[in-house]
Amino acid sequence: MAWKGLHRLRTLVRRDPDADLSDELRFHLDMEATALERDGMPPDRARQEARRRLGGFDRYTEELRDVRGGRWFDALRQDARYALRIARRFPAFTLIVVATLAVAIGACTAIFSVINSVLLQPLPFPQPEQIVTLTAQNPDRSNPRFSVSYADYLDWRRSTQSFSDIAVFVGTAPTLLGSDEPERLAGIAVSPNFFDMLGARAAKGRLFGAEDANGETSESVVLTDGFWRRRFAGDPNIVGQRLPFNGRARVVIGVLPASFALDGRPLDVVTVFAPSSIANVDSHGQHMLIALGRLKSSVTLAQAQQDLQAVAARLADTYPDIRGWSANVFRFSDELTRTVKNPLLVLMAAAGLVLLIGCINVANLLITRSAARGREVALRQALGASRWRLVSQLLVESTLLALVGGMLGVAVASLGTRLLLRLAPAGQLPTSIPIDARVLAFALAASLATALIVGIAPALRGTRTWLSQTLRDGGRTSAGSVNAPRLRRTLVVAEMSLALVLLICSTLVIQSLRRMLDIDPGFQASQVFTMRVAPSPQFTDTTLIAFYRQALEHIAARPGIQSVAAANSPPLRSSIKTPIRLIGRPASTEAILSSAIAITPGYFRTMNMRLLRGRDVAWNSPAPTLVVSQTAAKQFWGTDDPIGKHIAFGRRDTVGLEVVGIVADARTQGLIADPVPVIYMSYAGAVQIARSMVFVIRGNGDMSSIVAAAKAGLREVDRNTPVFNVQSVEAIVNASVAQPRLNTFLLGVFAAIALLLASLGIYGVVSYSVAQRTQEIGVRMALGARSADVFGLILREGAALALIGAMVGIAAASMATRLIQSWLFGIDRGDLMTFVLTSVGLIVVSLAASYVPARRAASVDPLLAMRGE
Amino acid sequence: MHPNADVLQGTLDLLILKAASLDAMHGWGLSQRIRQISKGVLEVNQGSLYPALHRLVKRGLLEASWGTSENNRRARFYKVTAAGRKQLANETATWRLFSGAVDAVLATQS
Repeated sequence: MAWKGLHRLRTLVRRDPDADLSDELRFHLDMEATALERDGMPPDRARQEARRRLGGFDRYTEELRDVRGGRWFDALRQDARYALRIARRFPAFTLIVVATLAVAIGACTAIFSVINSVLLQPLPFPQPEQIVTLTAQNPDRSNPRFSVSYADYLDWRRSTQSFSDIAVFVGTAPTLLGSDEPERLAGIAVSPNFFDMLGARAAKGRLFGAEDANGETSESVVLTDGFWRRRFAGDPNIVGQRLPFNGRARVVIGVLPASFALDGRPLDVVTVFAPSSIANVDSHGQHMLIALGRLKSSVTLAQAQQDLQAVAARLADTYPDIRGWSANVFRFSDELTRTVKNPLLVLMAAAGLVLLIGCINVANLLITRSAARGREVALRQALGASRWRLVSQLLVESTLLALVGGMLGVAVASLGTRLLLRLAPAGQLPTSIPIDARVLAFALAASLATALIVGIAPALRGTRTWLSQTLRDGGRTSAGSVNAPRLRRTLVVAEMSLALVLLICSTLVIQSLRRMLDIDPGFQASQVFTMRVAPSPQFTDTTLIAFYRQALEHIAARPGIQSVAAANSPPLRSSIKTPIRLIGRPASTEAILSSAIAITPGYFRTMNMRLLRGRDVAWNSPAPTLVVSQTAAKQFWGTDDPIGKHIAFGRRDTVGLEVVGIVADARTQGLIADPVPVIYMSYAGAVQIARSMVFVIRGNGDMSSIVAAAKAGLREVDRNTPVFNVQSVEAIVNASVAQPRLNTFLLGVFAAIALLLASLGIYGVVSYSVAQRTQEIGVRMALGARSADVFGLILREGAALALIGAMVGIAAASMATRLIQSWLFGIDRGDLMTFVLTSVGLIVVSLAASYVPARRAASVDPLLAMRGE
Repeated sequence: MHPNADVLQGTLDLLILKAASLDAMHGWGLSQRIRQISKGVLEVNQGSLYPALHRLVKRGLLEASWGTSENNRRARFYKVTAAGRKQLANETATWRLFSGAVDAVLATQS
């Protein structure tokens, strides 16, 4: 046994002294055995005797290592072995502790891995911190992130000093022909300097260069890695191939690396931007592009902002289109994470609270156990173990528990992130959330911190014993446990209050979500389906109008279709605002901005929106007409009758288009965005900018049959028009609240775990108190207390803890809810009902948790209890 | 004194230094030497021998080196250093003083 131990040691530590030690002792044993044999002892007995004389090996090596200063390692090994023995002896305890920590550390690690992949990954370009986005800012400053006009871009690039280069891009949606079904791709068109500015390199072929400088004639296309693999199965000879795009064939010049990422949106192909693709491209007011720039290495963000704003101010004075407009510079990486940063940090804080509650629970269990182990600790102290030695032993125990919990926590996190990816709205999270070295380091750090938090109090407390008393008491009530109940109660109150904070926050958020779902969007979503069509660019304005009219008529004629119409943006997804002028009114100093949506006749009927006055737009009116929303009517004309009034869109337009009707407000920018002024324009007026339209179809039956009918109707008119983005309006409504729904779900899960842990905590403390007070209860009952009295006594203990916890929790929550202020909708963050109901709920749960131990106390047999004394 | 008495704590270092001062010797040899010289009265507890040797090496009173034993085995030999000799002289004087005093007390007639 001794030698086996030694070999194990040697394999553990590759240090010469141990090998030497082993050799030296082996030599000694041999010599001793030989000497004994010489004295007439049989060989095997001699060897046995020699070993006996060398003494107990464990103690011996420890002393020896003590001399050499290597003792800590041996002590550690011994502690670990001891901890494992303890863990095996109390499997239920170990299981509860490890499971608690696995869930708590897992929750934290899961959220951290999301933060890691969303917030902490640098952009895949050299010096990513230099990359900024440049935006325009409208005169009333309501949108500091307006897109940029091409004319602005050219002037900015020419006149600013702070940027080593500025580039622009715009989303495109080219259609790729050449297979059975035309495929609509996600693309961007970029200025030729785009990739050079970013510092991106091609994985195959090349990216845009001098030969692509003219976007009007360029036939080059660059593919993303994902698209190349998906559509061409990673064909190694892709560079140089001609691809039949709708309108213009293009030659593949290169493939981007897999690491290339821009704004998280899907991306298949990149082409060179052709200014002529934008109407009125010379106007500074044509805000269409997204501008990215790279700061010169010595320039700060603030300096760049100042520089750009000075240039923008000069431009605003020069060109009447953009009077009052300004510009901003934002760090691109910050912009990408702007909307997710706050929710993620709040969720991280919530997960942190869950971990803290888990820690408190485990600490409580350890305190309880260390009190029960008081006698063992006292005995070891009497035998000369130093206090530090005992503390370190208990810490090793908690560290082992935390590490095992942490390892399982990583597994929990990996499952959790997979679940998260499935629940998250598209585009909000990266496609995969890896558990990388940084996440593992986080889990390790969390485990070690946990070990320290849960281990230090019980370790220090458990070893502060007065020897004689503990041993005399027979270890039943160690001195360490005199104060332990108070500490345990404090901890339980703390975890109750933390749980209440999470409970209140999640209840507020749940009610917000409910209120969001209760909103009347102003249209009827059920049985309406949408699909986008992208007709060939070869249609002229006139033929395109005819195409849509015919297509809608053919679809409407199909069985099962009740009503069909088209608009240039799907319900709830309209975000574009256009400057307008009200004819016959004195021009205001600042341009009026309004949402404008191009529609075909029958749109209101299909969406079930109420036409309040006047009439719908019509195909055969001599000039395009307008219908305005109620809010627009009130905002633009007050009490005057809008019907017959005219609205102009271009700066030079003096006649404008006639308003022929007023329609009830509908939400157009998202479910929770209040109705804004909306101008619905008949399609003929918008055909130049709205080539691709969204069909809205109301029909009987399920989505697939209705969409199939609609597609069949469309194909009767044109076979080559691709159809995509098929979804029900209900799905669009749901997607509009997908982010709040996810936040609510996660916060709810955390609150549920917190509540479960807190009630386990209260259960543990009350049961332990019952066990400790069994004799006292026996005496009380012998003196005439009834079962019901004892029952109430114990229940009151639990209720008191919960009550104090609730009060502290309410105070904490009234501050913590500030963090989720922006998540709330239609409910005050101090909502009294929520605070009262959750607190009552918490107390009820604690009473339930105290019920079992209270019953146990009430059924104590006084005779047995007192005999135990 | 009882035969085979365990060497008193504190005196073990003194005995080892003395035994090792004659000539370099390995651990087992030192324990045998102490037993022989004390005519079997002092038995070095083998469990405390090696900790004591390592302690003395660490304090610079002994130096250890690997060599070949009388039966041609690799063994670790211990030799007294200059500091060790000085320590041995001091401790010997102290012990003489102490044991002389104890003797004197014990010799007193009651």
